[in-house]
Amino acid sequence: MKAAFAFLIAGLGLLAPTGAQAHHSFAAEYDAKKPVTLKGTVTKVEWTNPHARFYIDVKDENGNVTNWNLELASPNVLTRNGWTRHSLNVGDQVVVEGAQAKDGSQMANARSVVLADGRKVFAGSAYDAVPTQ
Amino acid sequence: MRPAAILALASFASVAAFAQAPAAVPAKSLTPDQLTAPAGGSRNPAVARQRDDTPHGPTPRLPDGHVDLSGVWSGGGPVGDLAQGLAPGETIPLLPAAKAIMDRRQSKDDPEANCLPTGIPRIAPYPWRIVQTPTHIFFLFEGNIHSYRQIFMDGRKHPADPDPTWYGHSIGSWDGDTLVIDTVGFNDKFWFDFRGHPHTEQLHTIERYTRKDLGALENKVTIIDPGDYSKPFTLTFTARLRPQEELMEYICQENQQDSQHMKGSAGLPQNP
Repeated sequence: MKAAFAFLIAGLGLLAPTGAQAHHSFAAEYDAKKPVTLKGTVTKVEWTNPHARFYIDVKDENGNVTNWNLELASPNVLTRNGWTRHSLNVGDQVVVEGAQAKDGSQMANARSVVLADGRKVFAGSAYDAVPTQ
Repeated sequence: MRPAAILALASFASVAAFAQAPAAVPAKSLTPDQLTAPAGGSRNPAVARQRDDTPHGPTPRLPDGHVDLSGVWSGGGPVGDLAQGLAPGETIPLLPAAKAIMDRRQSKDDPEANCLPTGIPRIAPYPWRIVQTPTHIFFLFEGNIHSYRQIFMDGRKHPADPDPTWYGHSIGSWDGDTLVIDTVGFNDKFWFDFRGHPHTEQLHTIERYTRKDLGALENKVTIIDPGDYSKPFTLTFTARLRPQEELMEYICQENQQDSQHMKGSAGLPQNP
């Protein structure tokens, strides 16, 4: 474990976390007790403040398609952590883990985004994507 | 593993993920507010560990002898809960009527969540820059909102009847190496934190900024508001220098979709 810890420390110099988070209370908008895992195709990416967002079409077992609105940190936070507006693109196949909006809408905070080839995109880069209890 | 190391790992989760480090990072052990609570004013050890990249060195000075406060900073005020800045054992002297206001407040109505200013002493979780001139000091805020404070350093007094505004009317002076900013003329619209601590237009703040060393800027702020608090109280926060950062554009109104999905009382503890 010491080795892993040292590795993480070494990475800090390259990509210092900014400590930035959302402009609102996470717990007020998202429900950590409503975890969702969504598999789908990216239909739109919004590299905009106060949060970057992307939208995916998710097909259920009956073939019905639902479009989900997925929130990331701000582009500023993501940029400071090494991501760019090209990190995720329309047409990408992704698996997203997150917490659904408290109001039950097809909206979630994306905590983990994994591309079809296994690469993690934006994962862990958004402090505000850490669910609260 | 010692608890401190676990906390440090959690706070470095972003780096770990980017660097394809082992995925077993206990990120869930910290809430966003814990991760971003202002250092110095926080009793959360994770916050202090998160700031370990803060530079150290002697306090810089200008040719005229004054301390040079300029630079890009983060933190220095409350985010989730005003009480983060209290000394151990102290409480916020909230009056009953103010508590009733707080109890009624809903998170969706937080002005900051709706892309309106933080006011004072609340700070947004984004970097900000101090620009220091002989006549004015400016606080330039990257985030939420992309705005500024101006502090008059030319010896003028407050207007007799200032229009109520989000940042009020600020006059600054030096007390030795400490910049003292006296502000009145606030509106009563902004919240002090996510929890919804209120204030009235009687609010008067006295901020005392001391650059303890190259990387640490202490803000001891006294809140005087007989409308909502039974006595003045003082909070301490520390902003940390971000020498590698530049401010980025942040136009909160561009794509704000949050407040319409927020539910529930604002007054719930942010760090249960």
